[in-house]
Amino acid sequence: MPETKDEKVNQSVKADPNYWRSFEELHRDPKMIEQSHNEFQQSVTDEFDPKKLSSFSRRKFLALLGASAALAGTGCNDYPDRGEIIPYNIKPDEVTPGIANYYASTAACEHGCGILVRTREGRPIKIDGNPDHPVSKGKVCTQAQASILDLYNPERLKNPLKLGGSGLYVEISWENVDKEIIQILNSRGSREVAVVSGRIVSPTAKKLFDEFAQKYNAKIYPYELFNESLRNRAWQKSYGGGLYPQIKWDEAKIIVNLESDFLGSEGNRIENARLFAQGRDVNNINNFNRLYVIEGNMSLTGLNADYRLRLRPDAQHEFASALLKAVNGSMSELNSFSKKFDLSEAALRSLVKDLKQNSGKAIVYAGSTLSEEVHFTVNAINEALGSTSLYNRQAVELYPLISSGDLVSLINSMNSGRVAAVIHFDSNPVYHFPKDLGYESALKKVTAVISMTETNNESAALSNYILPINHPLESWGDNKTRAGFISSQQPVIAPLFNTRQKEAILLNWVNGDAKKYNDKIYHEYLMNNWQSSVFTPVSADSNFKQFWSNALHDGVVITNESSSSSLSFNSSGETSPKLVDLNSFVVALKPAYSTVDGRYADNGWLQELPHPVSKITWDNYAAISRLTADELGVKNNDVIDIKAGGESFSIPVFIQPGSADRTITIELGYGREKSGVVGSGVGFNAIVLMSGQSGTSPWIFKASVSKGTGSYELVTAQEHHVFDDERTKDAAQKRGIIREGTVEEYKKHPHFLHKEGHELFSIYGSQTNMEYTGLKWGMAIDLNKCLGCGDCVIACNSENNIPVVGKDQVAKGREMHWLRIDRYYSGSENEPKASTQPMLCQHCDHAPCENVCPVVATTHSPDGLNQMVYNRCVGTRYCSNNCPYKVRRFNFFNFRDHFKDGYQEANVFNLIYNPEVTVRSRGVMEKCSFCIQRIMEAREDAIEHNRTIVGSDVKTACQESCPTSAIKFGDVNDKESEFAKFRNHQLGYYVLEELNVRPNVTYIAKLRNTHSEEA
Amino acid sequence: MNIDYTIEAPVVEGRLTLGDIERLVAAPMESKPDKKFYIALSISGTFLLIGAVLLAMSFYKGVGLWGNNQPVGWGFPIVNFVFWVGIGHAGTLISAILFLLRQKWRTGIARFAEAMTIFAVMCAGVFPIIHTGRPWLAGYLMPYPNQHGLWVNFTSPLVWDVFAVSTYFTVSLVFWYIGLIPDFAVMRDRTTAKIRKTIYSIFSLGWRNSHRNWQHYEKAYMLLAGFATPLVLSVHTIVSFDFAVSIVPGWHTTIFPPYFVAGAIFSGFAMVVTVLIFVRKIFDLEKIITLNHLEKMTKVILATGLMVGYAYGMEFFIAWYSGVQVEQFVFINRAFGPYAWAYWIMVSCNVIIPQLFWIKKIRRSIPAMLVIVILVNVGMWFERFVITVTSLHRDFLPSSWGYYTPTIYDIGILLGSFGLFFTLVILFTKALPVVSISEIKAVAEGAQPNHGGAH
Repeated sequence: MPETKDEKVNQSVKADPNYWRSFEELHRDPKMIEQSHNEFQQSVTDEFDPKKLSSFSRRKFLALLGASAALAGTGCNDYPDRGEIIPYNIKPDEVTPGIANYYASTAACEHGCGILVRTREGRPIKIDGNPDHPVSKGKVCTQAQASILDLYNPERLKNPLKLGGSGLYVEISWENVDKEIIQILNSRGSREVAVVSGRIVSPTAKKLFDEFAQKYNAKIYPYELFNESLRNRAWQKSYGGGLYPQIKWDEAKIIVNLESDFLGSEGNRIENARLFAQGRDVNNINNFNRLYVIEGNMSLTGLNADYRLRLRPDAQHEFASALLKAVNGSMSELNSFSKKFDLSEAALRSLVKDLKQNSGKAIVYAGSTLSEEVHFTVNAINEALGSTSLYNRQAVELYPLISSGDLVSLINSMNSGRVAAVIHFDSNPVYHFPKDLGYESALKKVTAVISMTETNNESAALSNYILPINHPLESWGDNKTRAGFISSQQPVIAPLFNTRQKEAILLNWVNGDAKKYNDKIYHEYLMNNWQSSVFTPVSADSNFKQFWSNALHDGVVITNESSSSSLSFNSSGETSPKLVDLNSFVVALKPAYSTVDGRYADNGWLQELPHPVSKITWDNYAAISRLTADELGVKNNDVIDIKAGGESFSIPVFIQPGSADRTITIELGYGREKSGVVGSGVGFNAIVLMSGQSGTSPWIFKASVSKGTGSYELVTAQEHHVFDDERTKDAAQKRGIIREGTVEEYKKHPHFLHKEGHELFSIYGSQTNMEYTGLKWGMAIDLNKCLGCGDCVIACNSENNIPVVGKDQVAKGREMHWLRIDRYYSGSENEPKASTQPMLCQHCDHAPCENVCPVVATTHSPDGLNQMVYNRCVGTRYCSNNCPYKVRRFNFFNFRDHFKDGYQEANVFNLIYNPEVTVRSRGVMEKCSFCIQRIMEAREDAIEHNRTIVGSDVKTACQESCPTSAIKFGDVNDKESEFAKFRNHQLGYYVLEELNVRPNVTYIAKLRNTHSEEA
Repeated sequence: MNIDYTIEAPVVEGRLTLGDIERLVAAPMESKPDKKFYIALSISGTFLLIGAVLLAMSFYKGVGLWGNNQPVGWGFPIVNFVFWVGIGHAGTLISAILFLLRQKWRTGIARFAEAMTIFAVMCAGVFPIIHTGRPWLAGYLMPYPNQHGLWVNFTSPLVWDVFAVSTYFTVSLVFWYIGLIPDFAVMRDRTTAKIRKTIYSIFSLGWRNSHRNWQHYEKAYMLLAGFATPLVLSVHTIVSFDFAVSIVPGWHTTIFPPYFVAGAIFSGFAMVVTVLIFVRKIFDLEKIITLNHLEKMTKVILATGLMVGYAYGMEFFIAWYSGVQVEQFVFINRAFGPYAWAYWIMVSCNVIIPQLFWIKKIRRSIPAMLVIVILVNVGMWFERFVITVTSLHRDFLPSSWGYYTPTIYDIGILLGSFGLFFTLVILFTKALPVVSISEIKAVAEGAQPNHGGAH
């Protein structure tokens, strides 16, 4: 072993000197000997001083190491729960954490359906229908369901505002603003105070208005953009008074519908849909009704028609007159009419035949936008058919809407300085009034403009005072729309912001003392009014407090009112129709399915709800026929210019199959300029085309139309396919996605749907399948009853915390709806047959999504549910690719953050989420869960009460909201249940059955009630 | 040009001495990088940087920045993944399969092709991770024991992918490194710079050119070649399972495994030719990577191109023969639907244009070859695009049909992957011998004892 010179080794010098390790050792260097006595080197031993060492003990060091690791672990992660959870100090009696409370109230619209508000720990999270309500019977429309989103709108006004000298609004206290306004009202002199409101449906509010009017010499102007005035005028002309009644759709066998969208946007569509669908019951096949629709544009009602004829709306008078003559025996006029408008003569012949054969059970119904003359003629036809027994005369009008004449005189007084103050009572006349009236400029001549509103709007922006008001869920009230009952409205949450109920503000002014306001004034006023006007007539032996609590609990009080006397028809008003020039263009305006007249423009759920017919979201458009498009030289998304009454208007076109030629249909309620970030600048405001002093109908008028410049992208949730392309035509029928038959066919061969049914061939022989012996969830959707309205979609959004993604993301095909309504056309572009189909996760037994997920993030439960494990999902999207139904939805972004710069991440939005449903992060796949949170709740309840859970214990959100009860849910293995009837129905089929994925959603094939010879 | 194919052409042209070979191959590593090198590096580096920035933005904001949607859940990232894995096929094929088949001509191109394999698989490997919605959870795809009792889903082809690609990468890397050991030793012996010497010394693992060294080396190389050979076939087979195992019409096809392997070799060879054309010119290696080499590769391209063309036709036939409406629609829609442009780019680049290689003149013309192989690369990228996107965009339910449009982020990240690839290639040319010195010496004229061609 070689040795180096500098190697120092401690070796006893006494060791055998023959073995040396270094020269020093060999030569016995004294230094070396000296060193060898010291075991440790100098520096090691001499200087040792424990005090000089670090003061860390080993124990302390380990403690600090542990603490810093813990700090790094907790401090550096993005732990989501940053808030505090504080238990109730004293628990309110009615609140049990984790258990929802339900409160009955009334929807704040002119139809006043009963609602049931689900609240969790004091915050409303969902609006359902109140089953005790005699009209809506537990169902509510999309708008009522979505209105909960408005409660939590972060852009709600939070304090009263006053227009300052610099043109900017400054915050002002309620007391001061009340003082100033009372001062203004008192100093009006001989001038008028005008209150512009919506339709008044609250008896107590009416009383308040009367008091206010009396005190301040005020005049009330209730106005609605869409109303029944023409229909009612014709009724009064026909029968000398009263209001147009409700129709008993359930008793009608033949329904002939002229340009009316009674299933989609006209009247109380929830009630209409329920009654109509009663005549579409496959288990009562002999009671099927037949729907004829004669309309200019494909409406939701038109989608559901057995026979649909396209006719421009200004020709309806001509048609109605010919029909009246035909019903009375002379077909010649109807024949020549059918030639002029190229309508199917066979369909018209069977229409007349049906009407005559079913007299007393047939109803002709005209749309509310049609002229008074059409309605008069239609009344005459119904009179001739003996259909007056189908009238349900319960309509009540507390306060008539103003006529256009009243409006003109109001504006004249405003212009001539005879109006001291205009109060916008939760109304938006600057947006809604026809522009040619000049309301906007007249407002400048008014001393004080006061707007009561929840959010900013066009009218508020021109006001001197903006008073923020409570959301209906924060308000007291009552509602009377029909004879026979009155419904109550109660707050379900204290006002979130410094707002007041609009009636309370008015009441405070009536009281005349700003300081006297307290939160209860309108509550007490309402109770007093009920005590004097509602309580006494109903019952005498209970006390009022008891009665009042019961009324609030039920949400509705039944009153005894007798309906009106018999009808006597006065036929002298019949006029002969003006003949239509086929070369002219006609514009038809109708309310939007989602935003109605624009009041819901700021509601993201509604804006994103696909149009039930065109599936377009976030926009309105001019619907035209293919022929008209060719004539104008435009294609989809091209802009056209419309000129009517001196106004010019540009809007993109959409070629809507089934449109009448030279008819341009536009939905109003879009093009809001001063709404919130969601609603501003969405779509085009076609109200500019309306005229305040119009002819026969303000909504239907002639116009000149030409091709405009440029184009504008309309986005749709469903791709449109060319009709004349053989490869895409009727694809849904060819693939067995849509399977249909006729009533006749079903009566003759009840098994017609499965007659060619053969066993599916499998190369795997007889597979041993997973057996579901216990409870297994399944769904059945009756396509005879499904109208395609989209109520279920909004219900699902609300229940399952589904984010709004915005127009740009819908354009990319990234909408997040767990449930969608597919709409398919078949046949020709001019006379399409339409089919709708709600599509959601089918919870397949052999789910193709499950076997391809690399991380087992989607699995199957023993009760037959296809589950999503969000925490485990890494987002490969393979499951979505492999899903034949394409019902899986991927969070491409954190959409709450992405949509409008984090609009949905505002603090107040945290209150709306259903705490039982996870809010999903970005990068995660999601889909319909069959409302598993409801299943779990029902299961817990069953365990608690020591019973077995049964299928009918659970109602999914979509099922609960469906106005026609088309959706059934239950236990597949429970052969005795009501659900089993649908699950195993002869008309039941599965979509894409041949893939052998074994879906668990049964679709009941749609039957069209056409005459057998044309089937 | 008259070539007599009956006589085996010399693998190395120009009667280079062993010393010449060594000098020629080692030259790029022993000279300072010139201006051209820096220009090339800055161009590829720029692309890499663009890709990296756009990728970082995608991480920050979400994969929504890309064009993916419902129904097209997989877009550019998966297309790129399959494309790069395909590119990565030529290397191992050349180095392992041709080695086992005793194809001497492989020696000139094997090293480079193998390096490209590794770089291409690196490019490919990026995509499956970044394409997920939550890339930070990519570890979930690995089966590791944990207290939650969570396990991966072995029925999912994506899990097979993880294993197939990582195994392929590991084996390719080891195989490549084993082949490099003698060359590291050569470089170690040639170099005088201290740092370089240290590095080469470490990587040469004490190689001393002894007989025992060579014996072990040859055995190990042979074993690894045998081990790598099935992987060439398996990795793209498994990648094809990503599609074939699904039920999507247009994906659910039994022809996919052989079709994908043939396509991969096709595109891999095209990429190798593309790069070699430049490398042999720039580094003066025309005598080692000869025109004969390139010609042989064009023949492989022609053969595999025909296989791919056959697969295209067979898909249509089976769709028609199956009688399944959806299946038939998907294929007709490919050729005549909204993505017909992509389909016809694919068919013309992959099937029609390579037919020119039947002509000898074109096989031996560098410019013509270059144009064709670049078009093949384009065509093969589009093949993956057509398979992935056109099958998804119109599947079973017409209601959920859609259209996929890539965004600037998709395109930028694709460019970024090319940037990564070429940056690695450029650095490789300066850091390691691009041709196997020891193998070339073995096939140089006079290197082996012979009987003067008289058998």
